[in-house]
Amino acid sequence: MTFIKSWEDFEKAAEKLYLANPMKVRYTMKYRHVDGALVLKFTDDAVCLQYRTEVQQDMKKIDRFMTNLMRHMVSSDK
Amino acid sequence: MVVLENSAFLTALTLMYQKARLQGSVRVTLKRYDGRKKPIPRVEPSNKEEPEYSCIFRATLGSKKISTIVTADLLSEFQTNFSSTIRSNMDGLKKQKKSKGKRKSKAMATQ
Repeated sequence: MTFIKSWEDFEKAAEKLYLANPMKVRYTMKYRHVDGALVLKFTDDAVCLQYRTEVQQDMKKIDRFMTNLMRHMVSSDK
Repeated sequence: MVVLENSAFLTALTLMYQKARLQGSVRVTLKRYDGRKKPIPRVEPSNKEEPEYSCIFRATLGSKKISTIVTADLLSEFQTNFSSTIRSNMDGLKKQKKSKGKRKSKAMATQ
């Protein structure tokens, strides 16, 4: 599976995937200090979205995205 | 899989990140959780209650696994603590050079 190059594309695709089936998707982030790299993965076991970054500034966007995602997950609407 | 309290999870996660400084990688997974502990029955009962959603966080380093369930009322507190935990521990990422961005925006402007 290839990595999505732009963060905006990843975010949009992830949102779409989540809304299609909120109970099925999972979001994983893998951090390797040795490589200084962070790999994000968003999947529903059929579609897999991946994004890789080595840049500190991306943390801000990722943080915002995660906050958003958590809020959506605990809210009662489908 | 060890299910921990929210604050204990973050403490354990910090330890994992410190351990992974030398080798290995820490994986954190986030998923929606509806409180179900049994498999989905083949015939769903008709008097189904609306499930109460929460999030489940899992973290692994090598073969060590921890997890926590975050309920809606504790979410904002957890979210603040979680983001400060990952921000302070994921400090091996590179700082982007400012000049590169400037040049890019200039190039965009001339187009």
